[in-house]
Amino acid sequence: MSIAIVDARGWQNTLDLETGDKINTAGPVVEMAKDVLGRHPYPGDRDPGSNRWVSDTAFDLIDRYSPRFVFLTYAAQYFSGRYTPMTKETRAKMILEAFLEAERFINTSGFAAIVVGTGNMTPFLGSIDATGIDGLAVCTHWSTRYAGLYGPSPDDMKALRAHPHIEKIVPQEKVVSLFNGTPEQTLRVPEYLMLAREGYAFKTISDATRTPIMIPSLNFNVPLYAPGRTVGAITGIRQALEEDLLEKKVALIVMEGVGLDEFLWPHVSCRNGMEWYYYEPGEAQYLTIASGEHRFLDYPTGYKCFNDKVEATRSYPFSGHFKSIPEGPFARTFPGKSIAVGNKSMFMHTVTGTDVSVECFARNLYNQGTMAVIHREDKR
Amino acid sequence: MYTVSGGVTRERFPHRFSSCGSYLVESMPFYHAYPGSRCLAIGTTSCNFRCRYCSNAYIAKEDPEIQQDRMYHLAPREVVGMARKLNCRSIIFHVNEPTVSLPTLLEVAQEAKAAAIPMGCLTNGYTTVESTELLASIFSFFNVSLKGISARFNRTYIGIKSSRPVLRNISRLAKDRHVEVTTPIVQGANDGEIDTIADFIAGVDPEIPWHVFRLLPEDEMKGAEYPNIQAIDEALHSARKRLPYIYFHNFVGSEWVNTLCPDCGCAVIERFSLGCGGDRLKRLPCEDNRCPDCGRKIKLLSEKPCLGHRERAQR
Repeated sequence: MSIAIVDARGWQNTLDLETGDKINTAGPVVEMAKDVLGRHPYPGDRDPGSNRWVSDTAFDLIDRYSPRFVFLTYAAQYFSGRYTPMTKETRAKMILEAFLEAERFINTSGFAAIVVGTGNMTPFLGSIDATGIDGLAVCTHWSTRYAGLYGPSPDDMKALRAHPHIEKIVPQEKVVSLFNGTPEQTLRVPEYLMLAREGYAFKTISDATRTPIMIPSLNFNVPLYAPGRTVGAITGIRQALEEDLLEKKVALIVMEGVGLDEFLWPHVSCRNGMEWYYYEPGEAQYLTIASGEHRFLDYPTGYKCFNDKVEATRSYPFSGHFKSIPEGPFARTFPGKSIAVGNKSMFMHTVTGTDVSVECFARNLYNQGTMAVIHREDKR
Repeated sequence: MYTVSGGVTRERFPHRFSSCGSYLVESMPFYHAYPGSRCLAIGTTSCNFRCRYCSNAYIAKEDPEIQQDRMYHLAPREVVGMARKLNCRSIIFHVNEPTVSLPTLLEVAQEAKAAAIPMGCLTNGYTTVESTELLASIFSFFNVSLKGISARFNRTYIGIKSSRPVLRNISRLAKDRHVEVTTPIVQGANDGEIDTIADFIAGVDPEIPWHVFRLLPEDEMKGAEYPNIQAIDEALHSARKRLPYIYFHNFVGSEWVNTLCPDCGCAVIERFSLGCGGDRLKRLPCEDNRCPDCGRKIKLLSEKPCLGHRERAQR
């Protein structure tokens, strides 16, 4: 059983991650996680102390759990860059500070690091309004490049194909074929996947929207800092990690919202997808990095979660749209101890596969606290 | 919002929506209306309150003029069409205050009635008698935010002189509409009013569901201490004896979100609490609106057409 401990600032509850039921459980790892959450309240997605929270929380876990593998995400610059207007100089300073924070982690912890940026950001130029069509366009506002399309009329297709800010409309079979999808995965893929041109984002029926200042660029390649390693694609990071872990303690650090143009450490350019597809920052990109295989089809953009008959009573209520904990991330089978800490939403426990994870519990920039998930407490 | 020109009051930005999305009804929150169903949640811009802790200040407090670029432009028929496409059982107005967009909402309501889709709303209830009747003609279920009762609290935190219109309108709406009430607790400011508010609700109808929110400090109060959950829970002990449907939530992992049978205490509706805007149904053992253990009727607006809705649809 995986255990979730939620910390709502000054108050904690312990739950079965799968059922969401309150449980009474104890043990050294549970007590450690509770104490770590209590000592490290999350300052907020765009708070200047957000990335420091990641390092400090990780230090605490390292001191008390002694992991061999650490998975970290620094995301404050991604959220601030996306929604806060700023000058180029301020942005450069913000990114420098994120790298200084990573450096502080490496120097203090003594872990060797592999660092991957999730991609460049580009100024938001405008929306592609896909709300007035006869069919239905589906994506969340976090997705900008892609939107799913269902039941389009001939008029819809004509208008969308002629839209100056839509680059391409890919039919389902081509999406499935690109990723060698199974029949089960095909059910989750929209009839068409629409691709926006750089700087534009689809506007579909979604959450209350904040106007972004910057959105992810066309990141077919992302930067990778991996001293002594030759890695050509993000699917190759796993092997590099596994080999390094045979010799030393290793941290995989994901630097959100930083691409080839702004990555401050020596790096190589690494493929971030296949053919016409690249990963936007999000769960699929993390799963691909952690598992070494392409994972777009687990929950593809445009997936109609609201059609699920069982959604109201489904498992893993605290795991976003995940209905199970994904197989594949190498930490799930790694024999050494592992931890993850991140300030990019509540998905570290689903995508990293580590024994223990601590993540912010923040949705749409609302800071509700933190959550620790314990998948394994049997390692000594 | 409105503009007056030549003695005529007009809506400034008709058919413009700041939000339009598919949500579980529990996340609004409505706990006793169509449990487990999806709703199309819509909102516009602006508000007639100026709460210091507003969670949606970027919509409610910002000049609507500068928000127009990001707004959805949807004709009332398209709003209802979207609700159908997204398998929504109802349409719920949230995010800001519905009275600032009454003409648009009247039009949406006409289309929704024709499609037999009930409409609900979140409102601060600070409306004239006439506007309240208009709201009652549009919406069949309400969640009224009763933020506090004392004049001092309302002046300091909300920017209004008195809560009297809100109290009057809750009483009015509860007569023939489904009403739930929400109160965000600002520790040290309105936590001392918990019993007074409970007494008021009990005087209107003790079966009104009351959502007691732990304030999530935002906007002008960002950086303030998060209210103490244990202290608020203890302050609710006495009120729980008078009101059977008290829920204490708006924070992740709350264990006070289940509906218990007022007679036997059996859990008749179980929910998950994912904090602000994320609650969801877990189990619904009382599908026929009765406690599965003792048979007591549970106050629930369910799949049957809402009060007054059928008549309006026929008309």
